[in-house]
Amino acid sequence: MSKAWKRFGAPLLATVAAMTPLLWSVDAAAQAKPFDGVTLRVGTFGGPWRDDLVKYVQPKMEALGMKVEFVIGSPQDNLAKIIAARGREAPFDVVEILDAQIDQMADAGMLAPIDYAGIPNANQIEPWQRGANAVGNWTTQEVICYDKGKFAELGIAVPTTYKDLANDKLSGRVMYADITGGGGLANFAGIVYASGGDTTNVKPGLDTLKTFKGVKFWKAGGDIVSAFKAGDIYAAVAHTGWCLRAAKFAAANVATSHPKINAGKTGVLKVGWLGVVKGSKNPAAAMAFINAYLDEEFQVAFAKNSGVWPVNKKAMQRLRTEDPVFAAMNMLDAADVERMLRVDYKGVNVNNWYDQWNRAVSR
Amino acid sequence: MSSRFSAMAGPAPARWDYLLVPSFAVSFILLAASQLTFLKGSLYADLGLGSLAANASAGNYATLLTDEFYLNALLLTLKVSALATIFTLLMGFPVAYVIARMRSRWAMLLLAGVVVSSFVTIVIKVYGIIVIFSADGGFNKLMMALGLLDQPYTIIGNQTGVVIGLMQFTLGFGVLLLYSVVRTIPVSLEEAAMVHGAGRARVFWRVILPLSLPGIIVGALMIFNMCMGAFTSASLLGGGRVFTLPVLIQRAVIIETKYGMGAALAAVLLVAVIVINLVSVYLVKRLSAARLVIA
Amino acid sequence: MNPNNAPLAPPASRVARWRRPSVGAIAKYAWVTWAYLFLLAPMVVVLGSSLDGTTAYSGVVFPPQELTLKWYRQIPASHYNALGLSLVLGLSVAIGACLLGIPAALGVVRGKLPGKSMFLAFFRAPMQIPAVVTGVAFLKLYYAFGDATGLYLNATFAGLYLGHLFVATPYVIGTVVSVLQRFNLRLEEAAMSMGASRWSTFRRVTLPTIMPGVHAGALYAFMVSFSDVPIAMFLTAPGFLTYPVELFFGIETDFNPSVLASASLVILFSLGLLLLVQRVIGLDTVVHSRS
Repeated sequence: MSKAWKRFGAPLLATVAAMTPLLWSVDAAAQAKPFDGVTLRVGTFGGPWRDDLVKYVQPKMEALGMKVEFVIGSPQDNLAKIIAARGREAPFDVVEILDAQIDQMADAGMLAPIDYAGIPNANQIEPWQRGANAVGNWTTQEVICYDKGKFAELGIAVPTTYKDLANDKLSGRVMYADITGGGGLANFAGIVYASGGDTTNVKPGLDTLKTFKGVKFWKAGGDIVSAFKAGDIYAAVAHTGWCLRAAKFAAANVATSHPKINAGKTGVLKVGWLGVVKGSKNPAAAMAFINAYLDEEFQVAFAKNSGVWPVNKKAMQRLRTEDPVFAAMNMLDAADVERMLRVDYKGVNVNNWYDQWNRAVSR
Repeated sequence: MSSRFSAMAGPAPARWDYLLVPSFAVSFILLAASQLTFLKGSLYADLGLGSLAANASAGNYATLLTDEFYLNALLLTLKVSALATIFTLLMGFPVAYVIARMRSRWAMLLLAGVVVSSFVTIVIKVYGIIVIFSADGGFNKLMMALGLLDQPYTIIGNQTGVVIGLMQFTLGFGVLLLYSVVRTIPVSLEEAAMVHGAGRARVFWRVILPLSLPGIIVGALMIFNMCMGAFTSASLLGGGRVFTLPVLIQRAVIIETKYGMGAALAAVLLVAVIVINLVSVYLVKRLSAARLVIA
Repeated sequence: MNPNNAPLAPPASRVARWRRPSVGAIAKYAWVTWAYLFLLAPMVVVLGSSLDGTTAYSGVVFPPQELTLKWYRQIPASHYNALGLSLVLGLSVAIGACLLGIPAALGVVRGKLPGKSMFLAFFRAPMQIPAVVTGVAFLKLYYAFGDATGLYLNATFAGLYLGHLFVATPYVIGTVVSVLQRFNLRLEEAAMSMGASRWSTFRRVTLPTIMPGVHAGALYAFMVSFSDVPIAMFLTAPGFLTYPVELFFGIETDFNPSVLASASLVILFSLGLLLLVQRVIGLDTVVHSRS
């Protein structure tokens, strides 16, 4: 017995023992994640926006084996980064862009076509948001966010349009969106149209802006939150999300007012898109990221935390009831959303807007 | 012994010259190549999205030199740089003088404080400035408590903030420079003057200041150059409203990707700085010559 | 100094100080205090507010109301990467500036070429070009070079290194020149007359004597590179940022209290560096070798 054991048993046992790690790894290989070793770089907004993405989307991506790195900047900044990278690899794979840039970028061949096979969640969004070169991922309603308490204290009526912010009592207490920031182009268009101008004639908007005494400018939305917290400002022009955050993190007593643009339009709608940069080495991972962004649970959570309006239809439904603060700040009725100003940026010379802005605001 | 000496001293000097060559070559290539390509690049119009026109033209310069906005930007840059230089000198010279004449160990400690300040990058100091001057920050709280202000005063978005930022940028460096200038003036000169009955004020105005003047002017020039080339303070404290040339350059190149216009703006800035430097050097030479004549 | 050997009267300033503080003395020290407050307050504020636990989001609180180190634990990885890059870059630039600057200084001071002041002015030129212009110039140079050869140096270590080397070398040249100008050539002559070779003389007499100048120049070169914003701004790109540029973009678009913690670490590092400098070369050497 012992002889047989020595001849066969022990070596057999040793072999089995040696093979066990191999068996483990075979099992592990079966569980290998689809995007192992991939680092996806995403160009997005900073501050609390990025933090929300880290909290809700990054874990999902990591479960798929991919690492996500965020490159922070406004869409205008990110477009400039892609341009600056000529001859070399683009600085990110996925980029958050606005309606204002998307046509320019598509025409210049900067975006890769979207592979909807990799984005099953896309059938939960509106058809017009399923573009050939970009996928809609959120919309925002640009409003006047004002401090109810201070306005009442100073005896100022609730602002209904931009011109109401030219009040002397608000001197140095108004914050407007800097044109180079994420909220810049939409809100600039808003004040331009509300003052009787249009995309080719922006001067009326600039004239109105100049009447806001001591106006300050925000480039990153976080500036608004800290300004409300420090008591620096009583009103800011930005999207409802920043108003929501000011209420939450700055304990500000704020409410929103959708500005009247003209007879047919009230409020400003800004549409966000996700694009994949041409030449990206990880298109499949990029599609998976976009898919996660459109996921109902994420859209609800993201909307509640950042105040953006989701594109996922089921999420939209849920928010009406699940978050009363959010519901109060936004216009939920489809008819109201239809009446918001949405600029068609095709053929618009945005660089000319920057130029005229610089001249008007310089001190 | 002496003949062996001179024989050794003979070929030596010529060989020192060869050491120059590699450094000179590297510096020259970098200087020439960078300046030439950028000046050349300024002669192309921007077509948007970072692309440049195919043919060279002086269009960018025509715009710069005729458009009031850009001319104002140049004047604004000169103004804030000049103000920052003057205030830095006014603040820094007395400090440098006091430290230079200190005999205790405090002198080294004070100098250490200045050196630390110049190690730390301006961005960090600007954070601090923003906090100090914010509506509920130390400055406003103090001023309102003292009754000097009844509304918080903001420095973000106006030229005052930019000048303060530039001073933060250059003060440390200025103090170090002026310190070494004052150290070159022997204390015995001051003592001699005082022994002859001059009060401290007269000593300062008639002895120290005139002797330091060439050094001060050189220092002023270096500080001025630093201010002309800095955009950090103006960007962060200017609140998107104070457009000095460096800010415009940074915006043009980094944000608007208008590479042609950015280069043209940089060229204008460079020319302005060179002209001012040459004029000042000439003035210093005149001053030194005058001094020699008197002495 | 005193031909008559009579005892010198103590300097008037010292006498005045010990008797009673004059108005002038008070004004003098008040001015110094005020200047130091101005100089150091921002850094103190950054240090202090990094310890505050009450800022929920953007909104810096000073003096800190609730002491905590949590922001230090939340410093993003990108800051550490950027810090590492800046440190490595700074050290390399300091070394490169010395390798270029020492021979240049020796050549200018000791050579017999005419137009020494012209050479000195040429070597100092990079210090006079506004930093932002240097940044743009190198950016365009790299694009032109890349378009012609296919090798783009933008956002590469080599590209950043060249840009910083360009502006840092003048500092080394300046400090070494000023030390060399005070150098007593007889020391070298003495060594050689004792039979030492040229290289041996250089290594054992010249080099140690000019070392203070070299140290000071290297320190300035490191400082210039480590704290530079205008040049690095144009020669970096997302994923390859130096620390000051990372902070700059952070304050513009991505503010978070952990940025304060990060900045505080750098302030403490600078203090540490200062102590090291004082130990190894002594502050007065650094300060006195400005030409």
